[in-house]
Amino acid sequence: MKNILSISSLSVGYNKKKVLSNINLVVDKPKLITLIGRNGQGKSTLLKTLTGLIPSIEGELFFKGKINKELSHKEKSKLFSVVLTSPPAINNITVKDFVAYGRYPYTNWLAVKKEEDSLQINQAMELCGITNFATTNITNLSDGERQKVALARAIAQNTPIIFLDEPTSHLDLVNQSELFDLLHQLVEKQQKTIIISSHQLNLALNYADEIWLINNESLEVNTPQYFIESGKIEALFGGLKIKYF
Amino acid sequence: MTSKFSILSIVLVITSLGLFMADIALGSVHIPLVAIVDILLGNTVEKESWNIILLESRLPRALAAILAGSALAVSGLQMQTLFRNPLAGPYILGISSGAGLGVAVFIMGFSVMGISLSSSIWFANYGIVISAILGAVLVLLLLMAAIAKLKDIMTVLILGIMIGSIATAFISILEYFSQEDSLKSFVLWTMGDLSSVAPDSLKMLFFIVLIGLLAAFAISKQLNTYLLGEDYAQSLGINVNTTRYLVIFVTALLAGSITAFCGPIGFVGIITPHIARMFLKSANHFYLVPLCVLLGINIMLLADIIAQLPGSDKTFPINAVTSLIGIPFIFWIVFKNKKIAALN
Repeated sequence: MKNILSISSLSVGYNKKKVLSNINLVVDKPKLITLIGRNGQGKSTLLKTLTGLIPSIEGELFFKGKINKELSHKEKSKLFSVVLTSPPAINNITVKDFVAYGRYPYTNWLAVKKEEDSLQINQAMELCGITNFATTNITNLSDGERQKVALARAIAQNTPIIFLDEPTSHLDLVNQSELFDLLHQLVEKQQKTIIISSHQLNLALNYADEIWLINNESLEVNTPQYFIESGKIEALFGGLKIKYF
Repeated sequence: MTSKFSILSIVLVITSLGLFMADIALGSVHIPLVAIVDILLGNTVEKESWNIILLESRLPRALAAILAGSALAVSGLQMQTLFRNPLAGPYILGISSGAGLGVAVFIMGFSVMGISLSSSIWFANYGIVISAILGAVLVLLLLMAAIAKLKDIMTVLILGIMIGSIATAFISILEYFSQEDSLKSFVLWTMGDLSSVAPDSLKMLFFIVLIGLLAAFAISKQLNTYLLGEDYAQSLGINVNTTRYLVIFVTALLAGSITAFCGPIGFVGIITPHIARMFLKSANHFYLVPLCVLLGINIMLLADIIAQLPGSDKTFPINAVTSLIGIPFIFWIVFKNKKIAALN
């Protein structure tokens, strides 16, 4: 069994200036991973490097045992999907057509959908509870609904890994916990690996199977339990009172 | 959407046929419709002069209008999507300025340097076209080099505008030092002229535009992903660098060839994609590209009819007419919808 994701001596940053260095880790089974850290410490930079939006400074990335640099855009689009902080720029489109974008890596040059594609689109909408909005224009949705649509698109892409960069930042508490609940279900039911960066410590610690904590230019990987008991999170976030429920 | 698109297409095909007939029927010499149909079918008509007027003047001009309308509209659509900018058009990257500089060097530059080119007939016929193509290609190569170095597409846009300004500056210098008659022929070129396309060049132009339009349709899937933003496009397996090259190459092919043969023609490229999106209420390029072709043809034929000033023996420069009918249309959209139709 090949590792889902493995990272060896990876350094990330902008313009050769390292933000995080010497990252080594292995994701060997599907799980919900939450990336936490203070602002400006490199959460987004790390996610952008992992998703290939910016080049790494040094080190190697392997998806399913294949070296990242040798994968084409097309191959990568079948290995991982992304949900970025900024909502997609498009407005004039129905929910279903938007989710259908997730099938682009699988369709031909005319973007003709096959039976399998329609099935995946419907399943993704079902899972995210947005089937009722299928024909609604996405401009008419609330922020929470729109975030579910964005996630449904990533699910329809049917990749073993989904990256989410601070998807909860526009959402209220109810929507945030709904989203984490949904992600948790995806890991359980669909064997996805989900890597999400978030400022929501409570939710992150409650739902995550694994925490990636950024502190002082390095990345520490462990279970939520470990971080709670060691007091490292409280130390990092300056004695913030965290309630664990 | 498919049914809406079908209805729109059928309506636009019918109106373009009507406008095409009107365009070749109207003019300073009255030719009866029956005679026009006869000539188009290859039958003999009572006056030989009608034959010549129609086949050697009006028909090539109307066909040039069809090619120009479809090419400019589609290249405008591609630029607006690539740069996510509602004001982008086929000329935004300095393609027309580059072509203009080529033509300016050809018409004015050589005479300033004391070289006479009018002695060769071949050169006089094709010189403007070739120099316009060379000028446009020069700008294109500069942009391609820039894209290889730059990641941000907006920077490429600004660079394109600046390259255009430099070309315009060179043109001004040439204009300042040139003789009266060469200055006039250059200014006439900048006004656009659909009738300057010779019937044998028309065939070549047809094939260039056809290739450009087919290529534009073939990259519809890539352009659809651009509506989500470049980062999302990449995550959907699109090679964004290749797509940039393709889009700019297709635009240069379409807008560059039309500019070379007909001179710069403004506004059709900017306004047509907006009308198409407004009608379709969607930004799906698989529908927008054919719709822009049909709308561009209609608009350009209409502009050509107006430029002929039916009932008089004078004509307006086509570039002025497209602005005169294009700009009020933008005003109408703005006041009706309180804004220009959303880009995507």
